[in-house]
Formats: sequence, structure tokens, C-alpha cells
Amino acid sequence: MPFNSLGYFLFLPVVYLVFYFVGERARWSILLAASLLFYAALNVPYLLVVLVLVAVTTYGFGIWLYQADTPKVKRALLWGGIGANLLILVVMKYLPFLSENMKALSEILSLDARIQPVKIFVAIGVSYYVFQAISYLVDIYLEIEKPERHFGYFALYLAFFPKLLQGPIERAGDLIPQLKNRYEFNYDNMRFGMLLFTWGLFKKVVIADRLGLYVDAVYNDVHAFSGLPLLLATYAYAFQIYMDFSGYTDMALGSARLFNIHLTQNFNSPYLATSVIDFWRRWHISFSRWILDYIFKPLQMQWRDLKNLGTAAALMATFLVSGIWHGASWGFVIWGGAHGLFMACSVFYKPYQKKLHKALGIENTGILKIWQVFVTFNLVSFAWVFFRANSLSDALFILCNMNGTYNSTSIFKQNEYPNIVFVLIAFTFYVLYKKTCIDCVSRLFMFKYRWVFYYVLLIVIIYLKTNSRNFIYFKF
Amino acid sequence: MVSERLKKIILETLQLEDFDLQDDTTANMVPGWDSLSHVRVIIAIEESYSIRFKTVEVIRLKNVGQLQRLVDVKSG
Repeated sequence: MPFNSLGYFLFLPVVYLVFYFVGERARWSILLAASLLFYAALNVPYLLVVLVLVAVTTYGFGIWLYQADTPKVKRALLWGGIGANLLILVVMKYLPFLSENMKALSEILSLDARIQPVKIFVAIGVSYYVFQAISYLVDIYLEIEKPERHFGYFALYLAFFPKLLQGPIERAGDLIPQLKNRYEFNYDNMRFGMLLFTWGLFKKVVIADRLGLYVDAVYNDVHAFSGLPLLLATYAYAFQIYMDFSGYTDMALGSARLFNIHLTQNFNSPYLATSVIDFWRRWHISFSRWILDYIFKPLQMQWRDLKNLGTAAALMATFLVSGIWHGASWGFVIWGGAHGLFMACSVFYKPYQKKLHKALGIENTGILKIWQVFVTFNLVSFAWVFFRANSLSDALFILCNMNGTYNSTSIFKQNEYPNIVFVLIAFTFYVLYKKTCIDCVSRLFMFKYRWVFYYVLLIVIIYLKTNSRNFIYFKF
Repeated sequence: MVSERLKKIILETLQLEDFDLQDDTTANMVPGWDSLSHVRVIIAIEESYSIRFKTVEVIRLKNVGQLQRLVDVKSG
């Protein structure tokens, strides 16, 4: 049940009304039942089994880990819990990729291995709640959190429907206390949640989906284009994925706010980042914090004797994992590797870069900032090519032909031209003048003629929406 | 209470002329103390005090006060 479907537009108010009218003691069970129903609506029965399996395993390991007497047993239980979760993730997401590559390797080495093709499972949401489960176990191990004894609240922490399919990836310490808070109707939260949801819907169905029409036309037939269209489609994809994912996040945050739950903000104007490291502080923030805390920091500490080389290696390893997390394909691995490489290189050149800026007298100037934003955006867009292209050969074709001669194929289909212009104007306005959506919506409440804006937003959504598409990050 | 010695190491590593480091100061409150420079701060402290932190000990730290207490325990 995607957030941009009619089913969800009916589901959300019904869940809210039931939640509102039942007693305080039953509220968690209403949210849990709604979350399971929401997941079941995907019509993939084994997903519910996987969710329950992750919940039961992690709940059990969390309590055992906390009660263990010796550091050795604690460590064994931590790795047992993480291993169980990773095993589930590998079976659900990576077995077909592994078997395909093993088969190719055995053919190259002329081995007589008979590797059977593995069925691809639908794994929507699994990588998100598995990451939450791992963070829960590590936080108990580090004594940052105590285990949750109430299985209902714990299961709801993993399954809470606004963030079940696409995050944000929440920490137990942030979400569980909010789920336990006594609910009282809050007009501001209700108004804020509904407006944030509508704003996210606008970003998804008007901007992202419209850009997607053009991106798909080029990326699904790359050999028909050369030069400018390939470059424009790549930039358009950078904006499409941002609007798609941040639109989803706004809808998730808006839905949760109806129940007085504040989820983590996932974006902070990422295309205004002045370096790739800065980009990762602003893009998919709940995920980047996760990989930073649970992969990068431990590796960086382990390899600290290697100084800068250790930090660079930790960055490479972390972002290769990030690439693989996004999907079992070489395109994602190269995308993650490219980000890792950009940041690993910056570890070595950053001190010299600072000296150069000082020598040129451009330190802390506006021109330097604009230049850095421009370079960072182009580096990130370069990596998006591998993320979006249908195959590695398509990605290489796009990169090799981007500066080629512009062929006679029309950049825009005749009837799409005004739409693209509209999208670019809307996007430019949004990126350049607004900070996070939360700031944006908060400011709007103080705006005298806000009702005019509300109506315009609804009219634009109704008249300018394109055919419904799934969210890009669903598949991760 | 953050000792002058620890304060000096942190500020020199982060190339800061001065910053008021208190027990409850967290890394993200100090300019330039990000996840990349954090390891440089830790290495500088280890070298200065001739001590060795465990990875878990460093990851558990929440503020400068906890770092000071860990240094005190390690350096006896």
C-alpha cells in the first residue's frame, strides 16, 4: 500500500479514528495491527513471516545479551543476533546475486560446479527493519539502551507503518519512548502532519514522477541518444530521486505526526552540500548515521594505527557496504565505491586544499562555496549514473557519450516540454530558497494567506500529477 | 572537570586557538570535531598519555567529561 495510493488515503484516517477512540492501553495494539495489515497489503505473505522472525529473534537476543554475565558471552550473543539478522537479509536479498556471480566465476575458471539459479524474493522493507534490529542489539551491547521487555512495543518499533517500507531508520531510544507516551489530541501536530503529507505527495506525484517520464525515456533507450540529452537526463534523475525519496519521507513523517510521533528528518538540502562528506550529512541522514556509527567508526578505530590510510580504507569499506545495501547488483556496488573513493581521496588532499584556498585568498568566500556546491553536485550526479542505468554497459555508454555531439532525437517529447520547464522552476525554487521541509512547513503556518497556498497545492496535485509510480527506494 | 592538558591536546589537534571545553561539551558542539577528525583526537591523546583505548570504550563516549574520566582511569 504505497503512500500515494487511494488505499492509503482511506487507511490512514480509519487507523487514526480507531486509534483515537480506543482506550490508552489498547493504542499500541491498534498501531501494531495496522502496521501488520499495511505490510500484508503488499500481498506477499512470507514478508509477514520474515518481520515476525526478525522481531522474535532480536527481542530474544536483546534480553539474553543484557542478562549475560561475562563480556565473552555478551560478545557471542551480539554476534549471534547480528548474524541471525544478516542471514535473513542475505537469504531475502542477495542469494540470487551470489549464485549468479558464483556461476559466472565457475564458468571463467572452467570449474564443473552445478550452481542452481535462486528464486528472487520480494524484500520490501526488510533491509530497513533488519538495520533497526542490528542497531537495537549494538546499543544494548554498548549499554546505551536497555532491552524493551514489552514484546508489543518492541514489535511496533520495528513495524510502525509510516516508516516500515522505506525508513527513516529509527533508533530504539528515539522511537520506543514516543510509542509509550500517553496520546493527547494536538491540533498543531494534526495540521502539521497533514500539510507535510500533502507537501510530500506534491513532490512525489508532480515533480519526481514528471521528471521520471523524461529520465525513463532516455535511460531505457540510451543508445538512441548522445550528448546533451544524456547529461540532462542524468541531472533530471538526480532531482527525481531526491524529490521521490524526500517526498516519501515527508509523507512518512506527516503520517507519524498524526499519532504525535516525531520521526527522524532524512534530508537537509543535500544538493547544497559543499563536499561529498557534507552530502552524506544531508542525504538519507538516518541511513548515513547508521553506517557511520555501526560500520565506519569501529573500522576507523580498529585501523587507526594506519593514520589517514586507515580512515580512507574505513570510508571505502563503509560505502561499499552502503552500495550493496541498496541492492544486489554491480551498479550499486560501483555507486557506493565511487562515493567511498571521493571521500577517501579527500582525507589526503583536504589539508592541501585548505592551504590552497588560503593562499588564493578565497577562504570562506561565496564564490568558493558556489564552486564547491557545483563540483559536489556533479560528482554525486556522476555516481547516480551507475545507480540508475539498467546495466553497467549502459552506464559506461552514457558516461562516454555525454559530451558527444547532440543527435537529432528530440530532447523532450513535444507534449512534455512545458511540464519539464514547470518542474525545473518548482525545483529551483524549492532547493535554493528552502531548508528542510520541516522548516518550510513551520514557516508556512505564520503566513497570513496560508489557505491560498493550501488550495493551490491541492489543485496542482490534482491537475499536474502523472500516472502513479512506485517509490524508487521501495526496492531497497 | 576537563584538565588543561587534555584541552590543549584537543584544541591543537583540531587547530583551534581557543574553545571552552566543559564536561558536557559534545564533539558536534566543537568546530571541526567531526567523525573524520575524531580519530586524530583519540590518537593524539593516546600518544600523549601513552595509553591505548579499546574501540568499544571510544564508541561509548558521549562528551568530553566522559573522555576525561576514561583518560584518568587509563593513565592511573
